[in-house]
This record gives sequence, C-alpha cells and structure tokens, in this order.
Amino acid sequence: MTATRRILWRIFLIVALLGFWQFVPTSRATQFWLSRPSQIAAALWRWLEDGSLWGHLGATLLVMVAGYVIGCISGIGVGFLLGLLPRLHRVVSPYLAAVYALPKIALAPLFIIMLGIGFAPKITLVAVTVFFLVLNSTVDGVRDVDRDQIQSLVLMGASRGEIIRKLLVWASMPWIFTSMRIAVRYAFTNTLLAELFAANRGLGFLIQYSSGNFDATGTYAAITVLILCSVLLTEVLSRLENQMARWKV
Amino acid sequence: MAGAASAALATQGGLKMKIEFLGAAKRFSARGNEIEALTPTDLSIAREEFVALVGPSGCGKSTMLNLAAGLLEPSAGTVLYDGVPVHGPNRRVGYMTQKDTLLPWRSAADNIRIALELRCRATPRAEAAERVAQMIDLVGLTGFESHFPAELSGGMRKRVAMARSLIYEPETLLLDEPFGALDAQLKLLLLDELQQLTRNRRMTVLFVTHDLGEAITLADRIVVFSARPGRVRGVHSVALPRPRDVFRIRFSEAFGRMHEALWDELKDDIVKGTDV
Repeated sequence: MTATRRILWRIFLIVALLGFWQFVPTSRATQFWLSRPSQIAAALWRWLEDGSLWGHLGATLLVMVAGYVIGCISGIGVGFLLGLLPRLHRVVSPYLAAVYALPKIALAPLFIIMLGIGFAPKITLVAVTVFFLVLNSTVDGVRDVDRDQIQSLVLMGASRGEIIRKLLVWASMPWIFTSMRIAVRYAFTNTLLAELFAANRGLGFLIQYSSGNFDATGTYAAITVLILCSVLLTEVLSRLENQMARWKV
Repeated sequence: MAGAASAALATQGGLKMKIEFLGAAKRFSARGNEIEALTPTDLSIAREEFVALVGPSGCGKSTMLNLAAGLLEPSAGTVLYDGVPVHGPNRRVGYMTQKDTLLPWRSAADNIRIALELRCRATPRAEAAERVAQMIDLVGLTGFESHFPAELSGGMRKRVAMARSLIYEPETLLLDEPFGALDAQLKLLLLDELQQLTRNRRMTVLFVTHDLGEAITLADRIVVFSARPGRVRGVHSVALPRPRDVFRIRFSEAFGRMHEALWDELKDDIVKGTDV
C-alpha cells in the first residue's frame, strides 16, 4: 500500500516537473536556453531514427569499457607484484602516492599530444585512472592478509605458489572488488571529461557539440541519455554487490 | 622434579625424544626494550607423550610452541625435533592456535580439506572427499559441511579447526589454548574428542592451557611455568590411568590432590598479580 503510494508520488513529481517545464510561460530569449521536454523528446527520437545516437553511445561505452578493463587487469597484476615484493613497494610507494593524488584529467592534454584525438588518448586516460585506484587497493589487500593464516598454511606444507593461489588471491578479493566498484564511476566520469576535451564522437562530444551550436535542446537530450546510462550502471553495480555479499565477512 | 633433570633423565634412559628444548631461550626487542619471553629452558617431550604447559599469561608457553613449530628461532640454545635442529617452519607438526585461522570463503568441508589439496600431500579427489566426510563425522559437524565459518558458532569453528589440523595426521600436535573461549560443557566434549583422536593416532601433543583441570584431564606430564621472565617452575607426572573419563575424572580423589598441588605451585604468581 505504502509502496504503491510512494511510486504514485514519484510519478506525480516527475510529471509535475516536466509539465511545469513544458508549459511555463517564457520569453523567446529564455526559451532559447531552457528548451522544452517535448522538443527534447523529439530530438532524441530524431537521433534514434537516423541512428546517430548509437554511434555516440557506442563510442562512449567503448572508451569506458576498454579503459576500465585494461586498468583493472594491469592494476591487479602490478598490485599483486608490489604486494608480494614489499621491499620494491617501499621504494616506489612515494611516487605511487604522488601520481595517485594527481587528478588524472590533468594528463588528458598530454595524452592528446601523444596519441591524437581518437580513442587511444581517452582509453589511456580511463585506464590510468582505474589502474591507480585498483593498484592501491590490491597492494593493501595482499599486505593485509592475516599472518597467522599464512603461517598455518606454511606449517601444513603449502608452497609459495599455493599460498598465493589458495589464500592471497581470495583474501584480497573483497579489497579488489571494492576498488573496482568505485573505479566504474571514475571510468564513466573520465570518459566523459575526455570527450568534452577533444572528440568527434561520444556522449561528451554530443553535449559539447550541441552547446557549441547554441542548441540547448540537443544538450538536454544528450544529458538525458547520460542520466539513463548512470541509472543503468548503478543498478547493475548494486545487483553485482548483492551477489557477492554472501561470503564477504 | 625440575625440568632440566627430567630432560637429562629421559635422554640418558635412551627413550626416543620427539621434541627437545636444550637451553632454548627467546628475547624480543620492542621499542628499544629487551623483553625476555623465555629464559634458557630444558624440556624433552617423548614420542606419543601428551605434555601440558600451564602458567600465567606471558610466561613463555606460546613461545615454546612457536619454537617447536619453527615460527620463531631461539635467541640462545637449540630446539631439536627428532634429534635434528628446527630451522624454519616445521612441517611435521599441526598447530592449532587460540584464534582459528579458517578461511572465510571456504565452507567447513573445504576448510577441512585444504591440507589434502597441497602438492606435498596430494590426495586423489575421491579419497580426500572420503577422509573429509570421516573427519566431519568424527568431530560432529554432520549437516554443517557446506556452511561458511561466519555461519558457524564459536564451538563449531573450533571443531572445524581441529578437524583441519587432524586430517593430515601430523605426528605432532601443538595446541595453544584451543578451547579457551568456550563454555564448560562444550569444552569437555571437545577435550574428550581430542583425547580419543590423539591417542588413536598415537600423536605427540604439546598443549598450552590456562586451565589446570584441562591439563590434568589430558596430560601425561604437566609443566608449570612462572611469569616474567618465563621459566619452568616444575614438571609433574600425572599418574591417572588411561583411558580417562573426561566427564568424571574431575571428581576423583587423585585429580583433586593433583589440582591442589599444582594450584599451590601457581599461587605465588597469582599473588604477584598476574592472571591465571
């Protein structure tokens, strides 16, 4: 009962907001930057019909996913290496900390100089961002493993490889997953920032391009797609988390 | 009988010694302070003997176990296992610590099996499954095989930990207050199981406890330690016949006398203000 009522209220709220936006009396000048829901819907429909939306969406997802996967794999790999070689880690940790603290978007112009304005610099930016997030958590996870657990396996006769496979990999998994979850949002944000910077495709480019042409309707339409993407992403993430909750103690 | 004397006697008698502490001592330095955890100690444990170490906290009992397990190197003296000095992890012992070291992502059965998965003890899958099933039956965990440690009670986790140390049948078992935090009835049940398992498998056991009753119930010999710095105060043989009835032996006269004698020996340390 209350749940139904809550949903009804939600629908009412969004309809009221959109209705107000649609029918609020405005001057022509205001109209120019405010646009209207009906116009935004029409623009979206147009992009869907001519297929241009899929191209932009695909470009954004490609950058995000490719950067994310590369960043995760290399972050976990190097993280394990540094976690298992504490002396090496002690040597390089101040440098890692310095780069970790740097907002990676500051490197975007550099990547553009080096790699042009195609997918490569954007994927690099996202990968680097994700890499440092996942790297730090992996190192912490490997180093946080209970010494007593290691010793009990050693006394049973476990080799170094077996301790890694049967203990370290599993024990550090919650740390790695946590950082991977956080990294999804960073990957999304950085993909968009990179596309706002310099691009000829992608949702970020669509926003930039539309506003550059003083096309408020197009800007709102692109932002709408972005909101839908974020909602979808959050939903998928929270479901994955519920799946993993069982053995996380 | 003092520790040194008993060690000397045992060696002279030509008895086969499993573990020998020969003037073994351990010092730690913490924040510039030298702490003597264990003064030079002589103690010999015969094959298949069940020896209990009792004494107040910080008396070096756990240090003795860590030395025997090879997790610590003595700062002076030597520790022999089967007559050979212990250097590095001693893989012929099973070690069950106060804190259970079960892996939270493995079910009870998978935790118990882990030793059989290791290359050095590689066991065919079917045989491993059978031995795990036997072990689960033995420690009374039937019905909880697929539960994760977080889903088990403290007592059940102890059972899993015990089954895990016993499944690969180490010839020596080192136990550091394994049942410390359990309620009295459950403790008795587990002590009974421990007695049967270690006797049937002819294990040598070194058992650290705070609880004099536990020590008298299970041990062949009881080594009493005094605190700070840790040293052996005395060694007592427990002249109670085996097998012992874990649930009733505490009401026997011999048990009472033994308990009183040990208590008298320990109470000086209690008066000093250390906890037993």
